Amino acid sequence: MADNGAAPMILTEHLTKTYPNRGGKPIEAVKNVNLTVERGEIFSLLGPNGAGKTTTISMISGLIKPTAGDAFIGGHSITREPMAAKQLMGFVPQEVALYPQLSARQNLVFFGKLYGHYGAELQRRVDEVLAFIDLTDRQKDRIETFSGGMKRRVNIGVGLLHKPDLIYMDEPTVGIDPQNRRRILDTVKQLRDEQGMTVLYTTHMMEEAQELSDRVAIIDHGEIIALGTQGELTQQVGGQDQLELTIDGAGWSEELISTLEQQVKGVSRVQYLPPDEAALDGGIGLTGKLNVFVGQGRRALPDVIELLNRAGVDVQSVKVQEPDLEAVFLALTGRALRD
Amino acid sequence: MRTIFTIARNDLFIFFKQPGNWVSVVVIPLLLTLGLGWAFGVGEDSGPEKINADLVIPVETAATQRFVTRLHAVNGSLRLCPMDNDAENACNLEDGQAIPTVDQALLRVQNGRTAALIVLPPDFATEREQAIDNSSPIAYYSLEDPTLPSPILQSAQTVVQELNGTDVAEYAGMALVDLFDELAEQEGQTLFADAAARENFAATYRTALVRRMENQPELVNFTATAPMSEDTTLQGFEQAVPGMGAMFVMFTVLAGMAVLRRERSDWTLQRTAVAPVSRAQILAGKAGAYFVLGMVQFLVIFTVGAAVGIPLGRNAPALLAVMAAFVLCITGLTFALAPHMRTIGQAANLERLISLTLAPLGGAWWPLAIVPPFMRTIGHISPVAWAMDAFQKIIWFNGGLQDILLELGVLLGAAAVLFGIGVAAFRIDA
Ligand SMILES: Nc1ncnc2c1ncn2[C@@H]1O[C@H](COP(=O)(O)OP(=O)(O)OP(=O)(O)O)[C@@H](O)[C@H]1O
Ligand SMILES: [Mg+2]
Repeated sequence: MADNGAAPMILTEHLTKTYPNRGGKPIEAVKNVNLTVERGEIFSLLGPNGAGKTTTISMISGLIKPTAGDAFIGGHSITREPMAAKQLMGFVPQEVALYPQLSARQNLVFFGKLYGHYGAELQRRVDEVLAFIDLTDRQKDRIETFSGGMKRRVNIGVGLLHKPDLIYMDEPTVGIDPQNRRRILDTVKQLRDEQGMTVLYTTHMMEEAQELSDRVAIIDHGEIIALGTQGELTQQVGGQDQLELTIDGAGWSEELISTLEQQVKGVSRVQYLPPDEAALDGGIGLTGKLNVFVGQGRRALPDVIELLNRAGVDVQSVKVQEPDLEAVFLALTGRALRD
Repeated sequence: MRTIFTIARNDLFIFFKQPGNWVSVVVIPLLLTLGLGWAFGVGEDSGPEKINADLVIPVETAATQRFVTRLHAVNGSLRLCPMDNDAENACNLEDGQAIPTVDQALLRVQNGRTAALIVLPPDFATEREQAIDNSSPIAYYSLEDPTLPSPILQSAQTVVQELNGTDVAEYAGMALVDLFDELAEQEGQTLFADAAARENFAATYRTALVRRMENQPELVNFTATAPMSEDTTLQGFEQAVPGMGAMFVMFTVLAGMAVLRRERSDWTLQRTAVAPVSRAQILAGKAGAYFVLGMVQFLVIFTVGAAVGIPLGRNAPALLAVMAAFVLCITGLTFALAPHMRTIGQAANLERLISLTLAPLGGAWWPLAIVPPFMRTIGHISPVAWAMDAFQKIIWFNGGLQDILLELGVLLGAAAVLFGIGVAAFRIDA
């Protein structure tokens, strides 16, 4: 069966991986995962360490056999037609999977040959990839002499060499500086926008998933606990904005709480921390802290400030906290992502 | 096929890109083979070795003198101590032991300074008539295995038989002469004018007998055979070249365990496996690389052999067959063990342990011919022993393919079993 363009890019059915555990109960690394990744989208798999991201990617790339279930890449079963499925995908492992003794170019050439590219065509593709990852001038240097960020870029380059329809990127920004990280995130967006590539991106960093993805699946303890666009996910947990205001405690009176709740549209709850409590929560000196939970924070903000000013309360700083994937994860698991 | 070739070529390229590997595959093996080859050959360039035998003669007579002369004549490779000692003290005599006593000589046998001790009785070859009934035997002491032929004992026995033979013939001859003399006398005639004439005849007869005895045409005449290579340093290399070859092939090929382990931790193996490449192609590529490395290692060391003059060209196909079978066997071992390596360090230690055990056990350091028989038997659990047997048959005995079929069979059989285990256990995950 050729890739007919109609099947979803990735489809997993009851994908499960259980590792035997000496003496203990078996480790269920991935439990019954059912995903559909459409063509041309950036799909993120967001989850903390040990959630099962790498195990999932390993199964849908044919690296390890699922204990149960199957995955279809462009309609090809990874367990029954691995060669056809593998030809469609590029792979950027979590580790820098490069031969340290070889140069960047030699690494690209070797892996390129494994995808059936040889001769002048291969050399042209290598040149293109080197230009794309901006390492043309260092191409002859051995990988072991590269910085972490440069290695990561070559690691991505190898995955792109055969111009796959689909690319897996398993935490491609781990352990590198903000500048290189920025570069990689831009690259990922470029791949979707300019080359129409489908990207399956895993990360444990909420900000990355938020910035990149068209859709996100949150994975925890091997299970998909939420899936959708970011809007859908925040809605799902009844997401509200939170206005954090620092105010001069001198003008404050408890009645202001009910005034705010009644007079500003959309406010559901108001919380006041007096100066001594606010100090524990990061406040300074005589300033108190006011938390206003509201449907649409930016729209409500002018009314809140005006009301406070009229009551003689001096507002010193304001922060609008919109609900994010972190909040979603917290709501669903009771834990922070970074734990 | 192209993919297999690509994988094998990449592994070899990476291997030879690392300067350290040139040292361990070329420099060290060359130095060790040269050193060992010369060391084995040294000290033997004075021709075939002589064997020490102590001879104690309590009373020197013409007869004992003759015993010594005949012993030398019968076996030229005997060094009779102390009389044949030379300036270099080949007899290993201690100071003040110009002529060892029987007790001292016995000690010398026990600590290997001499191979045997022969003690002549004090009444050696006195009057025959007396000796017949109460002769004391020649005493022979040695650590030799009594079930195996001993060159010293055989030589002594040959001389004694010769002496006794002379006696018997003389006795029979003179008895006949005396009988004829008596018969003649009855006819009034006489064979001998007087007693002196008879003595004269007896002496002439005896001389003739002795001459005959000492020149028996049927006598087994032992000549130490010159080895196929005239140069004795070559003998050292004929052991060192195949021995070091087998050992360094193990080092080089078994190092693959650590490389495979590293490729799993570095994820380069996984990256290879996510490409449209089958497990069989990866295995064939990797195994092919180590097979080639093993053959390169053998050829590097055998080049030394060819350079010092071992005539290797004679049976090149047989030599290559042994090398290939041995390398396959070790490659199989590498793949059988590699999946079980937890760390790179563990793999490197196991590589050393296996190489340094199987090499001496299998006769890579010294010929198995010099170890006790049970060690020779045990040694054959090492593939090195089978390879060394085959190399010996080819290099020492000029054998061809038809002479090494057993060894090839054993090595290839082991390779097949080990590869079977390795293929079943081959793993790609970290
Ligand atoms: N080969 C294995 N044998 C046993 N357990 C394993 C194996 N591989 C992974 N696991 C376990 O499966 C679970 C999921 O691991 P996985 O590597 O998929 O997590 P991850 O989401 O990629 O984490 P990280 O963000 O740290 O990379 C973990 O509990 C891990 O210990
Ligand atoms: Mg991971």
